[in-house]
Amino acid sequence: MQDEPVISWKVAGAMVGLLLILATALVKPLGVSTQYVVTDAVLLHSAAPALAESNEYLSQYGDKEDWGVGYGWMLVVGMFIGGGISAFITQRFRSREKASLPSMWRSEFGESTPKRMLHAFVGGGLLLFGARLAGGCTSGHIISGISQLTIGSFIFGIAVFASAIFTARSLYRGRLAS
Amino acid sequence: MKLIIGLSIGIAFGAVLQLGGASSYRKIMGSLLLKDLDIIKLILMAIAVGTVGIYALDLVDMANMSIKPTYVAGIVIAGLIFGVGFAVAGYCPGTCVVAAAEGKTDAMMTVLGGLAGALLYALLYPAFSGLIGVANYGQITFATALGVDGIWIAIPFSAILLILMFKVLKDRYD
Repeated sequence: MQDEPVISWKVAGAMVGLLLILATALVKPLGVSTQYVVTDAVLLHSAAPALAESNEYLSQYGDKEDWGVGYGWMLVVGMFIGGGISAFITQRFRSREKASLPSMWRSEFGESTPKRMLHAFVGGGLLLFGARLAGGCTSGHIISGISQLTIGSFIFGIAVFASAIFTARSLYRGRLAS
Repeated sequence: MKLIIGLSIGIAFGAVLQLGGASSYRKIMGSLLLKDLDIIKLILMAIAVGTVGIYALDLVDMANMSIKPTYVAGIVIAGLIFGVGFAVAGYCPGTCVVAAAEGKTDAMMTVLGGLAGALLYALLYPAFSGLIGVANYGQITFATALGVDGIWIAIPFSAILLILMFKVLKDRYD
């Protein structure tokens, strides 16, 4: 299968752990979700500067991160580059017509591309709304936070998986019953 | 220099996530449906290695830690919202970036949705910021709460995770 991982979870997990140690030794732990706000701050500052300046939340991120060229932002840019390179090398890069509908999704929800796009968009919105309220996401809270034994990160991890497992089971009722 | 370090670690992080299947909708949903636990085990392995490494660094004062504050009410609500998004999108904020780089258009939509969600939070921040003050214990960790060096918690914690990964968690295929 085109989706089959190239390396096992053991190797991949250990490598993420080592990268986290390296990042913590050199700069600070891994995190992704803050960079969505940084990007928003940059975009809004060019589109509607007055609104961006007046927003308590956006103004604190834009300044602190030098308008998008901080360590954290480069990390996310790197993730895009690294993911693209390895997909290309291992020939997992998706052609445009097959790109939007995971086969598993199609078997449950049908052939509608707009419907999948809507799910993906709304899901992304909920992810980042939640991540910003919590102050981190899978990388910042669950991997980096729990690795630092942060109590709030354990709480976040438990809440996320409880909710995600419940939601996934509700979405795939048909598949689970068969 | 920090920018180059960030970029380099990011490239390696993105490549490892892609190679490990963490940017695959099928693998992520497999874990959330408790059928194929590889992604959950990948996360647990990262934590098992990371926690011992970080607290070993801390022993020699080399860990640049970043402890997020524990505000229980806000974090629980945030986690529940995040979990719904996780299952609906089938990606998380980092893996959708990697999946978008693979050419998956649904993941690109998740990135756009994420930008919209973060903007919505920024606009509604005055209404939600009060939650951050509820049951806020500050930058608390199990090490500071128990008053011991973190390594003494990290080692047994990591051992428990290894037992979970290799002995307890088994895939349940259809």
